[in-house]
Amino acid sequence: MKVFLDLMWYFKQEKKAYLTGIALLMFVALLQLVPPKVIGIIVDLIRTETITKASLLKYVSFLILAGLTMYVLRYYWRIMIFGSSVKLSKQLRNKLYEHFTSMSQSFYQKKRVGDLMAHATNDISAVQQTAGAGVLTFVDSLATGGFVIIAMAFTISWKLTLIALIPLPLMAVLTNWYGTLLHKRFHKAQEAFSSLNDKTQESITGIKVIKTFGQEMEDIEDFEKLSEDVVQKNISVAKVDSLFDPTISIIVGISFFLSLSFGAKFVINGELTIGQLVSFTSYLGLLIWPMLAFGWLFNIVERGRASYDRINNLLMEKIEMPDSQNALNKVPTGDIEYALESFIYPKETEPVLKDIFFALKRGQTLGIVGKTGAGKTTLLKLLIREFDGYKGEIYFGGNPLESYKMESLREAIGYVPQDHFLFSASIAENIAFSNPFVSQEVIEAAATTAHIHQDILQFTEGYGTLVGERGVSLSGGQKQRISIARAILMDAEVLVLDDSLSAVDAQTEEKILKALKENRVDKTTIITAHRLSAIQHANLILVLDEGRITERGSHLELMELDGWYKEMYERQQLEELVEHGG
Amino acid sequence: MMQKNQVLNGREQRKVLFRLLSYTKPHSKKIIFAFSLLLITTVVDILGPILVKIFIDDYLTPRNLIFKPLFILGAAYMGLQITNVIVSYLQLLKFQEIALKIIQQLRIDVFTKVHSLGLKYFDKTPAGSIVSRVTNDTEAIKDMFVTVIATFIQSAFLLTGIFIAMFVLNVKLALFCTFILPVIFLIMTAYRKYSSRFYQDLRERLSQLNAKLSESLQGMAIIQVFRQEKRLRNEFGKINEEHYQAGMKNIKVDGLLLRPAVDLVFVAALIIVLSFFGISSFESPVEIGVLYAFINYLDRFFEPVNNMMMRLSLYQQAIVAGSRVFTLLDEDELAPNQENDSVLNIESGKIEVKNVSFSYDGKRDVLKNISFTAEPGQTVALVGHTGSGKSSIINLLMRFYEFDRGDILIDGDSIKSYNKIELRDKMGLVLQDPFLFYGTIADNIRLHSEGISDSQIESAAQFVQANTFIDKLDERYQHKVVERGATLSSGQRQLIAFARTIAANPKILVLDEATANIDTETEEAIQTALERMRKGRTTIAIAHRLSTIQDADLILVMHQGEIVERGTHQELLAQKGLYHKMFLLQNGSVVRTENAVS
Repeated sequence: MKVFLDLMWYFKQEKKAYLTGIALLMFVALLQLVPPKVIGIIVDLIRTETITKASLLKYVSFLILAGLTMYVLRYYWRIMIFGSSVKLSKQLRNKLYEHFTSMSQSFYQKKRVGDLMAHATNDISAVQQTAGAGVLTFVDSLATGGFVIIAMAFTISWKLTLIALIPLPLMAVLTNWYGTLLHKRFHKAQEAFSSLNDKTQESITGIKVIKTFGQEMEDIEDFEKLSEDVVQKNISVAKVDSLFDPTISIIVGISFFLSLSFGAKFVINGELTIGQLVSFTSYLGLLIWPMLAFGWLFNIVERGRASYDRINNLLMEKIEMPDSQNALNKVPTGDIEYALESFIYPKETEPVLKDIFFALKRGQTLGIVGKTGAGKTTLLKLLIREFDGYKGEIYFGGNPLESYKMESLREAIGYVPQDHFLFSASIAENIAFSNPFVSQEVIEAAATTAHIHQDILQFTEGYGTLVGERGVSLSGGQKQRISIARAILMDAEVLVLDDSLSAVDAQTEEKILKALKENRVDKTTIITAHRLSAIQHANLILVLDEGRITERGSHLELMELDGWYKEMYERQQLEELVEHGG
Repeated sequence: MMQKNQVLNGREQRKVLFRLLSYTKPHSKKIIFAFSLLLITTVVDILGPILVKIFIDDYLTPRNLIFKPLFILGAAYMGLQITNVIVSYLQLLKFQEIALKIIQQLRIDVFTKVHSLGLKYFDKTPAGSIVSRVTNDTEAIKDMFVTVIATFIQSAFLLTGIFIAMFVLNVKLALFCTFILPVIFLIMTAYRKYSSRFYQDLRERLSQLNAKLSESLQGMAIIQVFRQEKRLRNEFGKINEEHYQAGMKNIKVDGLLLRPAVDLVFVAALIIVLSFFGISSFESPVEIGVLYAFINYLDRFFEPVNNMMMRLSLYQQAIVAGSRVFTLLDEDELAPNQENDSVLNIESGKIEVKNVSFSYDGKRDVLKNISFTAEPGQTVALVGHTGSGKSSIINLLMRFYEFDRGDILIDGDSIKSYNKIELRDKMGLVLQDPFLFYGTIADNIRLHSEGISDSQIESAAQFVQANTFIDKLDERYQHKVVERGATLSSGQRQLIAFARTIAANPKILVLDEATANIDTETEEAIQTALERMRKGRTTIAIAHRLSTIQDADLILVMHQGEIVERGTHQELLAQKGLYHKMFLLQNGSVVRTENAVS
């Protein structure tokens, strides 16, 4: 029940809705007492032959009134209580989303997207259950249960009430026990299902091997075995699941039997009328739900608490790179200088960058090359402050990076990441990602510079073509160029291309580089690449190896050096020849 | 993969339902048994109130309490209750069992179907969505069989039983009570109409919400670097708000038409029964017991109604899932046909490729008029740049794709005229990416061929020199392969794949050499293994490292779907063409490279 305390802030926030809802619920619980009472009264009137048209009409009107009121109230408490619970889930979801957007990349490095999704879906829905069905079962089992027992004890017979109630706690105990049992078996059934899922996944990804060895039949047999296991595990669930209804019915049956036998005795003694006995049995029927609800309540609350704790832990994660109080609120411009002693990724021990010292004048182009894993991307990520915590300093326009507001710093950098991630939206929306309000001309200009305009016009919907799972499937090169256009559209002080030309051919690469040069006068460009032609014309080229700068200079200087750069350059020339069929 | 919510019209829905129901046929005996159990529990259920009625009217009202008949009555009542518990437990269990068996059959059918499909189907369908058809969609159908159909049948039985009992007790009142049926029917229709629409809407919003969330999480780096956090928050907030509104609509529909409405009908029915008895009692005395029984029946009448209504949404989902499953079952992108009653045998393993042209999409040819011959025991190597068509040749040789221009002959007969088993037995493929299955090393070498003994596995491993590293693993051949073999090096995985092929002992070997950098320790082992494997087998090999195929009998250099150079290593080097450049690229020193460029 602690989770109700944890959620108190929300109950307070939605005080009106919850108080109204609970009041309505309790009122409904009271009104529910009317029909059994009326039945009893009418039975007695009929039996004693004292019934008149007027009295019949009176009681029937009571019923009509009670029925209609209950209908209306039941509708409204649902809106109040269930409505509030849905609102809570909305609120939590927004909060989580907001939190996600302000977490730095080191957070995403240690968390898996799948887990975060689970928190935002399953956990939120468990909390919603608690704030809705949890509150309902709590209030309703107490209110309905309490009122019915009071009505039975005080208006009919407390002795008979005690007798009739004897078997009922057993129902709460048994159903609760079944619940635990069911949970365990259900878990096993889930496991069996997920191994069936894994098996299917494996068969489909390994379909070539299976076909090669002609083992389709055997694989199917294997699948049959696993699916048999799923059936068996589910049957063991069914064995418990099927206990619920019969158990409830036998316990209620016993309770009925006791009420009727003892009730009959009381009727003969004159302690009770037959009408009262009939009312009594009807009340007994009303007690089933609160008993079940009580058992159910514990499950809901237990799940809700665990989920709420998980969500809270997530929300408690601190934002790692808050802006300092006197952070500069201007977009940086000017020279870039790295004076970096070393950088180690969080939770790792080996530095990925060591002794990186270089300066880049405003308007110059920097090229960074080196093997995979040499630290090229990391070097760029530090500039956009995806990570900090390095030894040394990086200056932009004369000031250290962290002296700028994050917002301002990033406004100065157009970034094209290695993995060209596009959103499920139209091509135009993807290109105008940094500013959805720009005109179509601006979008097309960016696309033209990135040499993707012609490709886009080829699509049936042109710039309105949807990208992503439900849209057109783009080639790697097309995706790269769209993501280049997205960065170009920002017209930022610095453009960063992280191996972003790998999937376009050499001619297109040349055209893009030329267009960039023409359109970005006096603006800085940083390019990392595997293909050296992409950085050949850079003012400064750095060769990285295992996090250190091993060679530096212009293309000509590096060729003179006769080192890794030169060897690579010549290899690539030959490769290009081979690619074109000699 | 996310599925777009399909909308099926009534006729299509019924078609899917009937096709699903046809799966019950093999279980007709069990179903009849379950129905008989259901019939018993229903009768027992109905008899209870009648006993109470007898008790009230014959004994309690006249205050005629004689021990013996009352004892019998009481015993009968409790006896019925106990019978009911046992029979209804069995009945509930039986229905679930049948449902589970039905789903198992459906699952096996789908899985079997998947295996009969050609690789073309797998190219155009994401693996995730096929898996979803086999497991998740059938699971949704299971929910329908277990809860919806079972609940509907059980409810229908009970409702019929209640009405029969009512008619037996009092025809006139029972007739009055039939008013419930059209009213309930109306509520159900209205509920189905609105709730299915609103519920669908809610689900759609939820999947939008989740899609947005998952996409944002994946693209968070981009969102942040482009400073779009605020905009995305607003966009998410908007979808979230729409989802909330859809949720509220559902609460309202449920509130208007579900339990509260059914409870209102209950009160109305109560009023009818009470008025009827009240009014009749003006003229003649009435039996209180009958009144009791009627009220009791009404009490029971509405629980199944509520149950049925709450499960309508499951039904809708199951039908949509069913239609997706049947679409897969009806898929006709089948694997290429073989003449399965053919008795042709591959004896020597001569391969002739004659004028083969091939296209995946029917537009662009990836193979253009390819011809070559591999004599028995010879090695033919295919080299060329990515996309030159090497892999396509292997795809055709392995019959992964159907082709219709030109022919491939094995021992003089078309590859299409061999039966499937013969082809799979005599042709072995070693894939570039050695796929390892969950299980032990031995399982991965044996695969499902139970005929391969442990010693055969060990000698196969020895043959390809995989034994050296396997012996060092704990539990050796029983070592568990986890996460697709991520704990093994790529070279070690390759060797296991070799052993797998050697254990199957094919006549013809098709090799797709790994491009990935193989660790130096295993590199040598792999080279020796390849040499030994090729001995005595006709081999078609894709080579990325020219060093591995220098002794090939024939090297084909491919470029854009055509064979541009052919000959032995020495002949090709002498030609100073494409092959020569490739060779230099891989082996040449800087100086020689410079020469080639200039």
